[in-house]
Amino acid sequence: MTSVLPETSGTVGPPPPFDPELAAALDVIGAQLPSAITAEMIPAMRTGGVMADLSDEELSRGGAFTVARHLAPGPAGDPEVELLVLTPTGHTTPLPAIYHTHGGGMVVGNNRSGVDALQDWVTEVPAVIVSVEYRLAPEHPDPAPVEDCYAGLVWTAEHAAELGIDAERIVIAGASAGGGLAAGVALLARDRSGPALFGQMLLCPMIDDRNDTPSAVQMAGRGVWDRTANDTGWTALLGAARGGPDVSPYAAPARATDLANLPPAFIDVGSAETFRDEDVAYASRLWQAGGRAELHVWPGGFHGFDMMAPQAAVSQEARAARVRWLKRLLG
Amino acid sequence: MKDLAVRLAALDPDAGAALSVIAYFDRLIEARAGLQTIVRGAAVLAGCPARLVDDTRRVQVRVQPDGSTAPAAGLDPAWMSAAVGEATLWLEKPGPPGPVEAMVLERAAAAAKGVLDRTRGHPPQADPALIELVVDAEADEPARLQAAARLGYKATDRVRAIALEDGSAALHPESAEPPLDRAGVGPAGPVAALPESWAAARVALRFTAEGTEQDPGRRVVHADELGGLVLLAAAVGPGTEPVPDVRALDRATAPWMLTTLDAVAETASLRAAATALRVHHSTLQDRLAHTIPVLGWDVREPRGRLRLQLALALRRLHRSRPPA
Repeated sequence: MTSVLPETSGTVGPPPPFDPELAAALDVIGAQLPSAITAEMIPAMRTGGVMADLSDEELSRGGAFTVARHLAPGPAGDPEVELLVLTPTGHTTPLPAIYHTHGGGMVVGNNRSGVDALQDWVTEVPAVIVSVEYRLAPEHPDPAPVEDCYAGLVWTAEHAAELGIDAERIVIAGASAGGGLAAGVALLARDRSGPALFGQMLLCPMIDDRNDTPSAVQMAGRGVWDRTANDTGWTALLGAARGGPDVSPYAAPARATDLANLPPAFIDVGSAETFRDEDVAYASRLWQAGGRAELHVWPGGFHGFDMMAPQAAVSQEARAARVRWLKRLLG
Repeated sequence: MKDLAVRLAALDPDAGAALSVIAYFDRLIEARAGLQTIVRGAAVLAGCPARLVDDTRRVQVRVQPDGSTAPAAGLDPAWMSAAVGEATLWLEKPGPPGPVEAMVLERAAAAAKGVLDRTRGHPPQADPALIELVVDAEADEPARLQAAARLGYKATDRVRAIALEDGSAALHPESAEPPLDRAGVGPAGPVAALPESWAAARVALRFTAEGTEQDPGRRVVHADELGGLVLLAAAVGPGTEPVPDVRALDRATAPWMLTTLDAVAETASLRAAATALRVHHSTLQDRLAHTIPVLGWDVREPRGRLRLQLALALRRLHRSRPPA
C-alpha cells in the first residue's frame, strides 16, 4: 500500500532533462524497469534478474581476487551477519579496506550486488573489499539493516589483521539505499566511538524518509526510483513512522542534527533524480559542520545512471571521479 | 546491470530490438548529439568497436563497446559498414550483419550524416591571414608552425598548399580529395615545407585551363606531374612575346578545334581522343586534316604531338594571371 505523499511547499519547475545519451539508454532499459515501484512488486524484484548475481568465479576475476566469506556476530540477540571478502592477490602488506553496504531500496539485493564496480576501483587503488549481507525490509524493518551493517564493520575492524586490512584506513561505501546505510553507519561509529572510518563514499545515497524535496516532487513518475518507489522503500523500512517525528538519524541520516566529526565524504548524485536535493543538502551541511566533503552533481543523470548506462560519457566521468577521490584519499 | 547489447540480444530482433535501436538514435538526433556520442551508441548497441572515418574532413572517431575512445588501427574491408555520405561507419566485426547490427548501422549512419551535413555547410573558418602566414617563405618557421597549429595542423602532418584562381591559398591534408575548383596543387610535405609547396602550386595553377571551348584542358593540375614543363613557366612572363605556334592556336576559331586539339594532346591514342570527344574515329581524322593549314604542322605525327602539347602549355601560361 502506498501512503499519500504530501505536496512540497513552494513550486518547482519541470523536471531537468536527462542527458541525451542517458535518455537514449533509458529508453532501452525503461521497458524492463518501471519508475514507480510498489510494495507488491518487491517479491518479483527479488527473484527477477534486475541485478544479476555474480558467481564466485566471476568475482575472482581470473585469480585477481580471493573470495572468502566470514560470519560476524549480529546485533545483540540477532543472527550472524555474512561478510563477503574480496582480497586482491599479490599484496604482502595490509591494504586499506572498502566496507560495502549494497543498494536495493532497503528491500532487495545481497552482498554481491554492485561489488563489481568496487572491484574496478581497487584494481586502480588496491584495497580489500568487505561486503555485508544485511537483513532486508519489510521483513526486517529498521534498525535491523543499519545495525547489521554496523555489526559487520565492528567485526571487520577487530579482525583487520587476519583479513590483511590496515584498520586505520577503512572506507565505507554504498550506493542508493547502501549510501544511506553507509552514512548511517558512519554516524553510529562516531556516536558509539566505534571503528574510526577513514572515509565515506555516498553514491546517490537514499537518506531522507520525508521524501518531499523539490527533486522528489519534480522527478515523480520519471527515470529510475521515483517518489513512489522511494515511498515504497522507506515505508518498508520504517512502517508508519516514515516521515513522522520519531525517525532515527541512523536510518535516515538527513534527520541527523549533528554532522560534525564525520570522516571525509564523497557524495555524488544525478541532477535528474529523486535524491538530488537531499544529497546536495547533506554535503552542504557537512561543510557547515566543519567537515570535509566532495560533491558531484552529474547533469541529466537519473538514479544509478552510471550502473545502467556505464558507457555514456557522463557515466565514465562519474566513475573516474570516484577513483580519483579514492586515489587522493588512499594513494 | 547487463550491457545494452546483451539487453538488445534478449529482445525479438525484428520488433523489440529494432524499435529500441531506432529510439536510441532518434533521442541522440533530437538532442543534437555529436559524432562521438553517435559512434559510441553504435559500439554500445552492437557490442563491438565502431568507427567513423571521413578522410576529406579528417574525421576519425573510434569507440570501444565499453564506451571509451581508442586510437584507430588498420581497417578490415570484411567488417560491416555503411556509407555516411562520403564517410563510412564501420562495425569492427566481419559481416554479414544480423538484424540488430543492420539496424544499428542504418540508424547510426543516418544520425552521423545529419551531423556531417549540418557541419559541412559551415566548415571550420580557416583564417586567410593564418594560411597566408603558413605558406609565406619570408616568415620564420616557428611563426609558420604556430599559425599551422591554430589551423589544426601538427608539424608532422603531411599537407599540400593549393593555389586558387583568385590568388588565394588553401591547405589540404595529403589524403584529401583533389579540389573541385580550378586550382594548382602543390606537393605534400611537412608543415614547415608549405612555402615550397605553395610556390609549386602557383606554378601548377598557371598550367590549368578554364575547361571551356575557348580554353580547354584540366582545371586542376598537380605540381608533381609537371616535370620539365616547370621551366617553361619561368620563360613566360607578362611581356613575353608568344611564339608563332601559340598565335596559331589563337587563330583556331572553329568551335571544335581547340577542344579537339586538347583531346589529342591529352589522350594516349587518336581512338581514345575520339572516344573522349564522342565523335567517330573518321570524323576526328577529318577534323585533324583541317587543322594542318591553320597550325602549319600535323599533330598526328609524334613530333607534331609534342609541338602541340608545348603550344597548348605555352598558351595557358600566356593566358594565366602573371605571377605576383
